[in-house]
Amino acid sequence: MRQTILQGLEQVYSNLVHMIADFLPRFLVMLIIIVIGLLVAFALKYIFRAVLGLTKLDRVSEDAGASRVLRMAHLPSMTELLSRAIFWVTWIAFILVGLSVLGVAGLQEQISRLFRFLPEVFVAIVILFLGLVIANFLSRTALLAAVNAGHPSAKILSWSIRFVIWLLAISMTLEELGVARQTVISAFSIVFGATMLGLAIAFGLGGQDLARKCLESYLGDTKKEKDKEPQPL
Amino acid sequence: MAEDTFLADDLLRQLMSVGEVDLLVGISSHDADNTISHAVHAIEQSFQQHFVRQRVVIVNVAGEVKDGDGVVATGPGKLVEKNVRLPGITSLRTVQRVTATFSIPPSSGIALRTILAAADLLRARACAVISPATSNLTPASIANLLRPVYREKFDFVAPLYARHKYQGLLARNLLYPMSRALFGCGIRELYSDEWGFSGRLAALCLNQDVWHEEAIRARPEAWMAISAISSDFRCCQVFLGEKSQALKGPRTDIVEVLRETVGTLFWCLETQQPLWLDGERSQPVPTFGPTHELTSEPTDLDRHRIFEMFRSGVTELEPILSSILDPETHSEIKSIVSLEEEKFRFKSGLWVRTLYDFAASYHHAIINRDHLVQALAPLYRGMTHSFLVEHSDSSQAEMEAASEMLCAEFELQKPYLRERWKAKVEVKS
Amino acid sequence: MALQRDNLWYKDAVIYQLHVRTFCDSNADGIGDFAGLTQRLDYLQELGINAIWLLPFYPSPLRDDGYDIADYTSVHANYGSLEDFKIFLTTAHSRGIRVIIEMVLNHTSDQHTWFKEARSSRENPKRDWYVWSETDTRYQGVPIVFVDTETSNWAWDPISKSYYWHRFFSHQPDLNFDNPAVFETVWDVMKFWLNLGVDGFRLDAVAYLVEREGTLCENLPETHAIIRELRKRLDLAYPGTMLLAEANQWPADVRAYFGDGDEFHAAFHFPLMPRMFMAVKLEDRKPIIEILEQTPEIPDSCQWFIFLRNHDELTLEMVTDVERDYMYDEYAMDKTMRIHRGIRRRLAPMMNNDRRRIELLNGLLMSMPGTPIVYYGDEIGMGDNIYLGDRNGVRTPMQWNSASNAGFSLADPERLYAPVISNAVYGYRAVNVDAQERSEHSLLRWMKSLIQVRNAFRVFSRGTIQFLNPSNHRVLAYMRQFGEETVLVVNNLSSSAQAVELDVQRYKGCVPIEMFGRSLFPRFGNLPYLLTLGPYQFYWFQLRRI
Repeated sequence: MRQTILQGLEQVYSNLVHMIADFLPRFLVMLIIIVIGLLVAFALKYIFRAVLGLTKLDRVSEDAGASRVLRMAHLPSMTELLSRAIFWVTWIAFILVGLSVLGVAGLQEQISRLFRFLPEVFVAIVILFLGLVIANFLSRTALLAAVNAGHPSAKILSWSIRFVIWLLAISMTLEELGVARQTVISAFSIVFGATMLGLAIAFGLGGQDLARKCLESYLGDTKKEKDKEPQPL
Repeated sequence: MAEDTFLADDLLRQLMSVGEVDLLVGISSHDADNTISHAVHAIEQSFQQHFVRQRVVIVNVAGEVKDGDGVVATGPGKLVEKNVRLPGITSLRTVQRVTATFSIPPSSGIALRTILAAADLLRARACAVISPATSNLTPASIANLLRPVYREKFDFVAPLYARHKYQGLLARNLLYPMSRALFGCGIRELYSDEWGFSGRLAALCLNQDVWHEEAIRARPEAWMAISAISSDFRCCQVFLGEKSQALKGPRTDIVEVLRETVGTLFWCLETQQPLWLDGERSQPVPTFGPTHELTSEPTDLDRHRIFEMFRSGVTELEPILSSILDPETHSEIKSIVSLEEEKFRFKSGLWVRTLYDFAASYHHAIINRDHLVQALAPLYRGMTHSFLVEHSDSSQAEMEAASEMLCAEFELQKPYLRERWKAKVEVKS
Repeated sequence: MALQRDNLWYKDAVIYQLHVRTFCDSNADGIGDFAGLTQRLDYLQELGINAIWLLPFYPSPLRDDGYDIADYTSVHANYGSLEDFKIFLTTAHSRGIRVIIEMVLNHTSDQHTWFKEARSSRENPKRDWYVWSETDTRYQGVPIVFVDTETSNWAWDPISKSYYWHRFFSHQPDLNFDNPAVFETVWDVMKFWLNLGVDGFRLDAVAYLVEREGTLCENLPETHAIIRELRKRLDLAYPGTMLLAEANQWPADVRAYFGDGDEFHAAFHFPLMPRMFMAVKLEDRKPIIEILEQTPEIPDSCQWFIFLRNHDELTLEMVTDVERDYMYDEYAMDKTMRIHRGIRRRLAPMMNNDRRRIELLNGLLMSMPGTPIVYYGDEIGMGDNIYLGDRNGVRTPMQWNSASNAGFSLADPERLYAPVISNAVYGYRAVNVDAQERSEHSLLRWMKSLIQVRNAFRVFSRGTIQFLNPSNHRVLAYMRQFGEETVLVVNNLSSSAQAVELDVQRYKGCVPIEMFGRSLFPRFGNLPYLLTLGPYQFYWFQLRRI
């Protein structure tokens, strides 16, 4: 009996030692991979930042208005953003590779699922973010144009534009995530929404001036009234 | 690469034939249809009456015109010989003409860049830019723009006009006092349809990397003046008589005008920070001729509507204004909105702070800069209403005194702008 | 080389203008004379000129540079005898050089025997040879020519106690051409010289021959009638001789003196001259083109005579006030250089002795439509002496060599009629014929080749002119055409190198041959012809279809 227990303990101990002997090197390998990954990610970040600096990406993004959007979202400059993303993507990749070295059952599958789902989440976030920014921008454009043209219901116009774009953005986000597909489709089979959005986006992005002029002319011929204002210059 | 060769080969060939010149007058005829011949005629007369000995050239920057007057100034070859001759007086030299043709009508900025490049390549000593869209362009006024540069070695010549009392309120209440306080130059008409400049200022401006900027696309003249000041070039003003009326009618689209003028001024604040942020600079601006003249025929102004637009604007744009303005400024504005129309006054202190808030917010890009400038329109209307009420019976001297006080207010509150300008960005949605 | 028989010789001539006094002194009295001039004809023949225009050499009190003639049929003792003149004339002709002399018809000197007789008594037969009046109120409103010195066109004669008419100085009474005897006498005088062999006359002050009440007494139809009569007699009795009009007027006004080819053969083109100077200074072709466009067509047998400088001031009568001020500022900053309404300087000093500009102006002179006149000394780039009075600064002795008195005279230097130029730049030691004949690249040698090329082509003297208008205004380009001869002249009027594109579509296929070096240039094609020119450079191209 005692012998059996001792044998069992010995067996367990031996197994444990074996497991530890088996696990420790893997763990060390993992740690090494993660540290190397960190170094590589840092190196890549700096290289990427230097290269982007040379390509004057920031100026392009400033010109395109992207920088302003980033600033409003409390985000750093485009170059910084991209180089940070590179850092994290690289490091996370190394970490995952390191984890897989551990050979933990099921973990690898979970990791690959995560990798498959990540882009969709990322795209969904981007869509939502852009939708918010565009809605904000276009509604403000409409509001300013309407107010400066002396239109009485400027706020309503502004809000309706904002609402429609939000709706579109949210539905696209849900669509991207694959959630409530039916609801989304039925909601956006409504012609009104599509038309309004098409117009708003086409005008808003296609040409602010044009949008403003169209709005102004839609809101009535204001020229006659303008003549009753003193000449500014 | 396209940047390096923005001058068309055809234009370059024309310039080669012209060679060095003393005087250059540029016409940007981008929005003029039938007025080129009038302008060319006036310029030639100006040369014949005032600059008979000088080597002169007229540079016309135009969109492609199939027929009509655009042709008058095109092709230097056969048309050059047909100079207008005044009885008894004639230029000793050929009045040369150069035409830069663009497939679409170029903006003022592009036109100016072309004119500056021509001036630089031709080593012109004195230049002027005129708009053919103004009706009362006289030979004397063109000469007045060129003379201070050519004879007195000034680098920038701004015009001064006889005006109607209620004309040019944006210049009077915003552009002039603000630019005077910040840049130290008392140029009254920072934005005008005609102005003069020296060859070296042309070279300086041409070599600046700003030509892709939206801000100088429509009205680059103020930027030129401020560039002159920032380089310690000499500026002056000349009296040109009555303000030229645009042939297409006066421009009263306030949003458009604000965008072109205030937008540029704010942009200049941004690009010329060292000029006003860290140092005090003041340059006397000599004036040739009377400093200003006012007329006061009755006009058809709808004060009530102006006030209503101010009031509704401030209310409707509240979220936008709150992101732009300092809370204190904003609440003060909200409090005056509720006043009765006749009791309403936009005090100069509040006006100046409002503008400085706008300038700082423009700098920090709190919201889209174009939106920001548009949001100024209702407030400008408020100021205009206040001005109309206050000065309905004012004499020229009284108006001038008020203008001086406003300038002093802008000067006084400069530290406020500096403080807000340097403050850490605080973004609101 | 004898004279060619050609009645239109004056069209193809290159004329050399000189005063006998200034050219060469053979008898060591300090004044040039005909014997001296005869000795120097070899030089003129080599230069390539084929006519000489002599300034007045008649006996005269010399109160108006010899234009106050006291005897029409003799030679002033200073310049030799009539025999000397005849020898000069024969020698010149034997070298193929024709001679044009001055003839003053409008007035005589008050020392002329005709006037002495006329004033001696009111009954004298010659009394009516001049214009007399009891009052000085006739012909009111007629302008006074010499406003500096004269207050009226009438002068009081204390001897015959009446007024006589004078358009110029009061010592130059006007002849009365209403009297047929005057006309016949004048014709006799002209016949006298024509019989000696003279080839032409420059008629002085022709516009003023006849006076009529209520007019400006200028350019009257009666004056033209007198000229026509003279011309008729000349053509009949002395074919191959010519009349040259001195009329400092606009070309459109001078045009009348050509009549229908039945008055003068030639007249000076006064306004062109200052404009050539102006164009070079302005670096713009405008003045030249403008004046030539305003120049009217003249009959085929007639010719404009053109010049750069002459014995008078560079006259600025034919320019606007603005242009005159410009010319003064650019060419005569020093007020002593100005006289009357003109500039009393020679070509080389006006060009600051810039060889390229001197050459350009001579090139213009030789290639413009008209007969060119070279003023003595300008072919070697002689200077002037603005400190001599009147216009004597441009009438100093010819500089032959670096010997004493510049080889002009063996007299003591103090005895010379005027001091020779002796400064470092233009003095006779630096600028003289001898030295320039020795140097291959001298101005003189260059002038010889220029005149040689000019003489080889009739297109220069008789051809039409058509301006090309390249967009570069510093370049003056024109086509000269005569029969089969076509010449393209391109001048860079500016001090910097220039590129020019010429529209030569009409001459497509022609090969331009540079006329001085006979070098071939690329053939004219479809594209504008591109030429580059150095500062003040000019090209003459003969166009050939090969």
